[in-house]
Amino acid sequence: MANLGVKICGVSFKNPVIAASGTYGFGREFDEIYDISAIGGISTKGMTNLPRLGNPVPRIAEAHGVILNAVGLQNPGVEHFIKDDLPFLKEKGIVIIANVAGSTLEDYGKICARLDGLVDMVELNISCPNVRAGGMALGIKPENIEEVTALSKSNLKKTPLIVKLSPNVESIPTNARAAERGGADCISLVNTFTGMVIDLERRRPIIANNTGGVSGAGIKPIALRMVYEASHAVEIPVIGMGGIMTGRDALEFMTAGAKAVQVGTANFADVNAMPRIIREMDDWLTSHGISDVNEIIDTLKLN
Amino acid sequence: MKEVISTVKEVKLIADNVYSLTVTLPEPVGEVRGGQFLNISTGDSSRLLKRPFGIVKAEGCDVTVCFQVKGGGTLALADARVGDKLSVLLPLGNGFILSENAKNIVVIGGGVGIFPLVPVICGNKDKKFYTYIGFRNKGCACLLDEFEKSEKFTVVTDDGSIGEKDNAVNAYLKDRENVRADMIIACGPPVMLRALKTQLKDKGITTPCLVSLEERMGCGIGACLVCVCGKTDGSRARVCKDGPVFDINEVEL
Repeated sequence: MANLGVKICGVSFKNPVIAASGTYGFGREFDEIYDISAIGGISTKGMTNLPRLGNPVPRIAEAHGVILNAVGLQNPGVEHFIKDDLPFLKEKGIVIIANVAGSTLEDYGKICARLDGLVDMVELNISCPNVRAGGMALGIKPENIEEVTALSKSNLKKTPLIVKLSPNVESIPTNARAAERGGADCISLVNTFTGMVIDLERRRPIIANNTGGVSGAGIKPIALRMVYEASHAVEIPVIGMGGIMTGRDALEFMTAGAKAVQVGTANFADVNAMPRIIREMDDWLTSHGISDVNEIIDTLKLN
Repeated sequence: MKEVISTVKEVKLIADNVYSLTVTLPEPVGEVRGGQFLNISTGDSSRLLKRPFGIVKAEGCDVTVCFQVKGGGTLALADARVGDKLSVLLPLGNGFILSENAKNIVVIGGGVGIFPLVPVICGNKDKKFYTYIGFRNKGCACLLDEFEKSEKFTVVTDDGSIGEKDNAVNAYLKDRENVRADMIIACGPPVMLRALKTQLKDKGITTPCLVSLEERMGCGIGACLVCVCGKTDGSRARVCKDGPVFDINEVEL
């Protein structure tokens, strides 16, 4: 059995497979199916200072190899998380990453200050494409990314900060460097690609929000390219995601430079996806005589 | 709740564009309450989402669902061959919980919403069911034999091709003096459930009423917050996990 443990910003993960925000809630539902202490970590459902009701339904559609969602950050608010969900997750012994979002810069500062020292890491959602008020705007332009990162970082004295990048931008390396300049300890990418699925008979988009975030197997090649670009543009560690369905997919992201991966849409296709992916990674490493997953990170050789 | 690989046992056309699919699990299905559903892969790996269907029958290792072909996913399932392997997650949701002292149950169903009502009638032998089912027309009618197991069964159609030309809600209201209902359960298109809610309110009928809702789903287990419905208290509920069955007065229809 290969060593799957990784360390990012001083935080130890028992394996590099993290549940991606928005697909795994706060872990309780998946824990009814398997003991979630098996996974490396969880990035929680995106949280805001106050509860949010989210978008109207339908919130999901499907296209070839992908899904599209526009949940609109429905969440019970950060206080509810601290009181109800955090104690449950602490008992599970997995790395707890609080995914946070806001409509204004001040929102980000406030929620980071509240969570400082309570969770293992904070992940800034500056790229959620579904909230008209803020999300997208903050995550597109490098100067905005640097500003929101710096403000968030100044409110986090104890907890490392991950900035989750949007792929709907001009330059991933430019934006990755902006987050690094702002003081990010780590970068994660990619969030979803903005897209549309149309019901031809009704001549209407399927989801109520008209557009939504595209995720799933079909985005993997683009995500891999972006993760490669980001990890070679900055010194800070990168967590990769985008269409990971198998252990091989996860290892491809790690060879491209990711220190860990997040798994999202795969959880819908297969509720046992994460423990399976962890097993498949171990099998592949073992069958290739590699005793430690860290040996594979950033080993991609370009042609 | 478990995810298993099932084997397709039978696929058959039971009405216009409506199919019955029976799969065999590697182990007994276990206890399933009427109104609970399962999530099944389509067999087409380019489709990442499973499809949620109300469980119609669960017997030994076999479980049956019925569905209308609406898009590519349901078309793939209609084309499934005997022996095909499909991943199934079940049982999901709360189902219809009938109170012990409710002896006479009114069942109102419309179109493809009738399916989750079947196991309620078949699984509660100690109760009497008074059933009102509506279809668009004769071609859409199916599973009538199952509903015949009710104490009283009325079928109506929009065009009068079977039974009277009427809808299921009206059929019940016209007959309600003859039925002392302790409880009403219903499943059907949103327009039917809305009409039921309005009529119960307008006529001052206070009989407890449970409705099963449908929504496009992601995970099916309550984690992703995709399939929500509005509650009358202003909050949101997850159709897959908090439902799909709700008290008619607690949800916005």
